[in-house]
Amino acid sequence: MGKGGGLITNEIRALRFHQGEMTQQELADRVGVTRQTINVIEGNKYSPSLEVAFRIARVFGVSLERVFQYREEAARR
Amino acid sequence: MNLSFQEKSLWLMFASLFGVFGFYFVTVLPADTVDVQPQQVVFFVLAVVVLVIMAIIGHVVIALVDRHRETDERDRLIALKGVRNGSYVLATGVFLALCVAMLTKGNFMFTHLLLGFWVLAQLVEIGSQLFLLRRGM
Repeated sequence: MGKGGGLITNEIRALRFHQGEMTQQELADRVGVTRQTINVIEGNKYSPSLEVAFRIARVFGVSLERVFQYREEAARR
Repeated sequence: MNLSFQEKSLWLMFASLFGVFGFYFVTVLPADTVDVQPQQVVFFVLAVVVLVIMAIIGHVVIALVDRHRETDERDRLIALKGVRNGSYVLATGVFLALCVAMLTKGNFMFTHLLLGFWVLAQLVEIGSQLFLLRRGM
């Protein structure tokens, strides 16, 4: 959920699946956050800090935009 | 329900505060004396000691059961929001206690109104954190 009225979505679940079905706990351990935080990020209920967002992207070896998307139009409808 | 270390710790503190000070108020408030009595002071000290013991033993047990004890940025943000919500209740309580202090005789009402709002502020702080941890933010 974005703070400015937009909607931040992510592809973490799909990326985890393509990384040998990495568990939320494994991702959490590698990023340095709790499993619960990964869970709410995946559910679009929490927008992480830039630092955590970059660390998630680095774990998957992809760009930030591949992991997170900002959809301003979707939120306005 | 799969609870994190943080949630278990908060539930422990919520239940301990509610139980210990709930019992304290149910026991002490019917007395309604003008000033706080010495036996009430002893009862208050005992309540605080019991609360501390419950917190220590409870956290030791939780730490033995749960190996994921780390916190992160979201936990810290939720803690700050909890403190903010609790501070509104505490500020209201301090104002009301000051009004009572100016309008009533003795220190019984003033002391227990202040204590009651402190406990309520703690419960609101912890309750807010539990709500936000479960709902997401």
